[in-house]
Amino acid sequence: MAISLSYREKSLYASLAVELLVYGPYFFLHRQNSINKVAGMIIAIIVLQIILQSVVAALTRNRVTDERDRLIELRGYRAGYLTLASLMVVGLGMLWFHATVGRLRLDNRMVGLHFLSVFFGMLVIADITKTASQIVSYRKAL
Amino acid sequence: MAAIRNQIRELRALREMTQQELADRIGVTRQTVIAIEQDKYSPSLETAFKVAIVLGVSIEQCFQYDPRGKR
Repeated sequence: MAISLSYREKSLYASLAVELLVYGPYFFLHRQNSINKVAGMIIAIIVLQIILQSVVAALTRNRVTDERDRLIELRGYRAGYLTLASLMVVGLGMLWFHATVGRLRLDNRMVGLHFLSVFFGMLVIADITKTASQIVSYRKAL
Repeated sequence: MAAIRNQIRELRALREMTQQELADRIGVTRQTVIAIEQDKYSPSLETAFKVAIVLGVSIEQCFQYDPRGKR
């Protein structure tokens, strides 16, 4: 049986594909932290999202969203927020531990970049959790 | 089994109405009508009333509450 996808669902799959395509290589293949790479990644995300979302919108005749879409969206944001809050607590604990026990120099530029990358990674994980949670919600009973 | 069950599929079939037609008339997507018919989603009270009005029946004929069912 063919699975029928709504406009919002197609849009979510497109978002997830872009997030994995851009964030994946950045976090798993890069060797050095740099502000330029983060900036390049953000630009790539914006450009790819605009292109893919335009294609999805052009290929979908019925772009209606309803109460179920809104409920699923809210659930996704809740999952994303809980993930971000949990990771932030872990991240801040890690920062505190390294700064006090490990005698980490927080004024060192490379250390600053490293933690910037870690916190950016948390934001990315929370965003992917939000999108994935919404996709799962469309397939299971609410 | 879901706490709220419904007879929308049967009532719709009696009126030879497609899922898309029902969806358009109550202002939701076809995927939402599918989810409601499969007991995967309990609609809001407003949507439940709209379904009953479009199908020309009372809300009790459309939706039933089962206190032993899971949500």
